[in-house]
Amino acid sequence: MKIKFFSLLLLIFFSACIQDDFIDDEVDPILRITSNIDTLAINTTFQLESKYLNNIGREEEADVTWSSSNSSVISITENGLIEGLQLGVSTITAQYNNGEGVLRDDLLIAVGETTTSSPLVINGEIATTSSYALSGDFTYSLIDDEVVLEFGDNYVASTALPGLYVYLSNNANSISGAYEIGMVEVFSGAHSYTIPGVGFNDYSYILYFCKPFNVKVGDGEIQ
Amino acid sequence: MKKIIFSIVLLSFSLSTLFAGGPWPQKKGFGYFKLSEWWVVFDQHYTDTGLIDPNVTTGVFNTSLYAEYGLTDRFTGILNAPLLSRNYMNNLVSNTTKEVLIPGEAINTIGDIDVGLKYGLTKEGAKLPLSATLILGLPTGKTGGGTQGNLQTGDGEFNQMIKIDAGGGFSVKNTSLYMSTYVGFNNRTNGYSEEFRYGVEAGVGLINKKLWLVAKLDAVESLKNGDTAETVTSTSLFANNTEFVGIGFETNYYITKKFGISASAAGAFRGEIIAARPSYSVGVFFDMSK
Repeated sequence: MKIKFFSLLLLIFFSACIQDDFIDDEVDPILRITSNIDTLAINTTFQLESKYLNNIGREEEADVTWSSSNSSVISITENGLIEGLQLGVSTITAQYNNGEGVLRDDLLIAVGETTTSSPLVINGEIATTSSYALSGDFTYSLIDDEVVLEFGDNYVASTALPGLYVYLSNNANSISGAYEIGMVEVFSGAHSYTIPGVGFNDYSYILYFCKPFNVKVGDGEIQ
Repeated sequence: MKKIIFSIVLLSFSLSTLFAGGPWPQKKGFGYFKLSEWWVVFDQHYTDTGLIDPNVTTGVFNTSLYAEYGLTDRFTGILNAPLLSRNYMNNLVSNTTKEVLIPGEAINTIGDIDVGLKYGLTKEGAKLPLSATLILGLPTGKTGGGTQGNLQTGDGEFNQMIKIDAGGGFSVKNTSLYMSTYVGFNNRTNGYSEEFRYGVEAGVGLINKKLWLVAKLDAVESLKNGDTAETVTSTSLFANNTEFVGIGFETNYYITKKFGISASAAGAFRGEIIAARPSYSVGVFFDMSK
């Protein structure tokens, strides 16, 4: 009887301790050229940028190898600085061996009279991944060098959650390392967020999380 | 002020008062006292649509004193005091890297104390005993604990609940039985929705009334007239409109004439914004009426 009683007390005691919950957050590592350029003016230079995201979608330093498919049109340094040498096109390739394989990303660039980049706009849709309401169309765009996230009239989010937050992330299942846009204050109808300090190609997902309880509510893909 | 309620605390009162309670006031100078440990550990919850979603494992442990004492033959004072309440959340760990992404946290404080007064509307020996009870929920617990403000040992509001109990005891083939039911209205403050509560309880006494087996159904229906995340300020974290229908089972065994032990389990089989795992309780009691 005493042994059973103390076993019960021990069971209660240990179940009151902080333990570990594991989250399945593995994603495919990727290397991404984040610069936006379509045409490079002849006899000018432009610094290309890249980003390596590891197997949980978190950015890591990477020793990227740059190359140009047509080096007589565009030359490139080991640091990704390109120069337009003559009119034409060239595919710029970034490569990185992360130990498990070679990752690469390509960007087709023309050399012309002026440097241009195409408007950056992605139209998408957020959807619930839980049983809380979340839906609506969005436009993710770059306006005056700032990322703007706009939701349409058909946007709806549940008001029942304590602390619903919106994030930009490279992992659809985790807000670890994500950019926190802020707490949701609009639960229906059109509204927008201007997101300073974020590059257009920096993130892959819009995530909605109940921050206090780490409950994923929904997401939308932006890449 | 930050307010976060996944309304796990309210289960602790309604389902920990199995066995005692009912429409029977204590006789003057007599009482019922119980020291118990109540806990729930849940990794899923009922959402506002009534479906179940996962969450970081959360635990609530209450070490409580429950007391009923007969002030007169009609008036009984009631106290439900979580003397130590612990609320914790687990670490969130990457299954890929085993890195702790969000560290777990815990708070340990006193919980929300309920004080009440029960009045016997009928005299002793009535065929259908009736009582009216006023319970005041005092915001003695902590809200907004932890770095995320997501830990709580109370709801941070002063509520007043009026309850009418009715019931009766009878025997079948020398076996003692009782049944009781109640309806109540819980007036809440601080932006919380008011609640309609009801429940039924039945018990059977075995082994010469030494062993009592009790079953109970409790329900909370929210009037959904309080604040939501949309209507409170942007700095608040708020969940409201908790509802549930739950069942509980309890065994009470009198080791001596007045002293006994108890164990119970309870859980919601329908709910909104509430834990979706069973709660448990073990305790010792002293029953002066025996």
